[in-house]
Amino acid sequence: MTVPRIAITGMGIICGAAANIPVFRDAILEGKSGVGPVDLFDVAAFPSQIAVQVKEYDPRAWFTRRQATRLSRTDQFALLAAQEALSMSGLAGCYDPYDIGVCVGGGAAGMFQAEQWLAAELRGETARPAHLRGVLPDKTCTELAQALCLAGYQGSVTTACSSSATAIGWGADLIRCGRQKAMLCGGADSLALLTFAGFNSLKVMDPEPCAPFSLGRQGITLGEGAAFVVLEEEQAARSRGADIIGYLLGYALLGEAHHMTAPEPSGESAARVMTAALSAAGLAPGRVGWVNAHGTGTPANDVVESNAMKQVFGDRVQQVPLISTKPITGHCLGAAGSIEAVATLLALNAKTIPRTLHFRGKDPECDLDYCHDANRPSDCSIALSNSFAFGGNITTLVLGSAALPEEVC
Amino acid sequence: MESFSCPIAVTGSSAVTVAGYGLQPVLEALRNRRCCLHPVPEDLLKDAEGLLWGRADSFRAADFMPPLKARKLDRCSQFAVAAAGRALAEAGIITDSIPGERIGIALGCGFGGIANSAEFLAGYFQQGVAGLSPVLFPNTVANAPASNVSIEYGIKGPNITFVQRFCSAESAVLAACRFIEEGRADVMLAGGVDELTPLMMKGFAALGQLHSHASGFGEGAGILVLERADHAASRGATIKARIQSIATVGLLLPGFEQQGLNRLLPNRRCFDQLMVSGAETAVRPLLAAVQAPQTHFPGQLIGRSLAMGGVTLGALTGLLQPGQQGLHLAASPEGPCFAITLEGGDPA
Repeated sequence: MTVPRIAITGMGIICGAAANIPVFRDAILEGKSGVGPVDLFDVAAFPSQIAVQVKEYDPRAWFTRRQATRLSRTDQFALLAAQEALSMSGLAGCYDPYDIGVCVGGGAAGMFQAEQWLAAELRGETARPAHLRGVLPDKTCTELAQALCLAGYQGSVTTACSSSATAIGWGADLIRCGRQKAMLCGGADSLALLTFAGFNSLKVMDPEPCAPFSLGRQGITLGEGAAFVVLEEEQAARSRGADIIGYLLGYALLGEAHHMTAPEPSGESAARVMTAALSAAGLAPGRVGWVNAHGTGTPANDVVESNAMKQVFGDRVQQVPLISTKPITGHCLGAAGSIEAVATLLALNAKTIPRTLHFRGKDPECDLDYCHDANRPSDCSIALSNSFAFGGNITTLVLGSAALPEEVC
Repeated sequence: MESFSCPIAVTGSSAVTVAGYGLQPVLEALRNRRCCLHPVPEDLLKDAEGLLWGRADSFRAADFMPPLKARKLDRCSQFAVAAAGRALAEAGIITDSIPGERIGIALGCGFGGIANSAEFLAGYFQQGVAGLSPVLFPNTVANAPASNVSIEYGIKGPNITFVQRFCSAESAVLAACRFIEEGRADVMLAGGVDELTPLMMKGFAALGQLHSHASGFGEGAGILVLERADHAASRGATIKARIQSIATVGLLLPGFEQQGLNRLLPNRRCFDQLMVSGAETAVRPLLAAVQAPQTHFPGQLIGRSLAMGGVTLGALTGLLQPGQQGLHLAASPEGPCFAITLEGGDPA
């Protein structure tokens, strides 16, 4: 039996580097980082005081006063990105609302607002209860379903930094197994004191813009935003005349069963998830042109991911660049996987492997090609996107460009 | 499309609830209609008078793991590790006998991570940077329970956590069944875990939900062991029940409720046992469409939570006699809705 290919027919984004897809495309291809000072809350007490914050953001430009009050910052980002994705797909009216589902990867969700309630409560002041409404990540999914009239599957994946990559993979599978005809999948997250203080307390935040795979890197730079894709079965999308902008060819997810915060050091688990994703896509490693790394810039992650690459690609590893777009977008936690999936698709369609910014020097433990010097032209139509998370929840997506040959999968 | 291409068997189950450890106390409560909820301490909230909750106060993590390990885990992770261990044992699975890569876990989580988040932030708000505890931060994520279970038992297959209102556990069970059907795993632990803290009650009170959604809230974990029926048979495991189908809709659209209902219950409408999970107010409109001589509302007896579906599915499995048909209905006021059908015993 032929497994249907899952086409991507729409995508949308808002993050600290760009407020829509055309601007984000430029940021990825031209290497424009959004890193800068944080003014969303007071960060003066922390060693790292930078992030890729969505700046000059006025909710009233997009939402009514009531919506702006009721929706968390995360939910607002989600709606903006989802609306761009749906608009691009031209999906409206093409399917029964019960045939379109939503799957969202969540992280800190509405914690930015909820922690204001907690601070007031601890001071013995009257706290605004509205700040609590979005504290759980499922609120984002519900808001999207209601606002966009999507009555099919509703699910929120909460596996920390791999949430939204898994949400895309799982959403594709809901189509593949016939439960849904189309899915809106992605993730949303906003900066919050919880995560900013948390990663600082673990001493994994770089005071300078993150420098994945570089010598002297000290950790992550946080980011925020949302990205969504619209998935459909390829033939259905073609039948309704949709423009296909890429493919989700396969995915895999697993648990490392090693440690809550440290990656499994040999890279065996990371290699296993990449290999399993390729297997799910029915592809040999030789078909992969490059990999959008989890690439956080922490000393441990970057070595493990490099080692995993060697296990997956063997002698060919130096011909498969491992790049990170996190220096551009920051690490957007619950939204990271979907933002990086979109970045990967844009780069694939532009036949370009993006540069990894902020090179500080060659690390002998990171001895692959990371495109530290410049973008690289590439005719390859297939790339992987890795997302690794607290708890050892790791996911790999296999993405194909719009120009993917028909014989693939 | 609601059914699976391979029969999926339930071969183990366990729970931690206000009723006690394991599913037997829950089944006894259901059979005797014994309410296990107890009063919310009046010193906790100003308007707590008359309110009941289902805190699992008898649970002692040190009964299930070394005290040092227990101190490192958040309460949800403690529940999950305890319930998963018993479920695996009941299924006769020694994790060494099945490669860890072939066993996965899918959990629904409710407010897991919130208590650690609040404690972590309180340290900062009260003492500044010096008050930050890096030990607390890793367990502020909702996937901590599933991850801690995977670390405890060497589970290296698919690992996923969902939070989806009162249907968090059902979301996880759907994913688990699909992972088995696809061949991503031979065995999946699936269910839900949630906790109930005094701060949550203050939050419910602030939102005006204390006497509505938050009334009779509970906590605990309910975890099933799922596997392909032929896999269970090959290792000589007892099949307690088979999951026949899982249907879900995200919303019942106003004016198009019947279409949604038809997708939830496309075939059978008569069952031997009906288990109601989630928010009863949201499930009640669905009840008119089904017939069952025995309908159970476990939330009234052990407390409702966002991830109670693991406990209620386990209880339904325990109630079904071989050959009996069971229906698990769950819903949240703002969606989603789930209908899960099971058949008791092993038809083979």
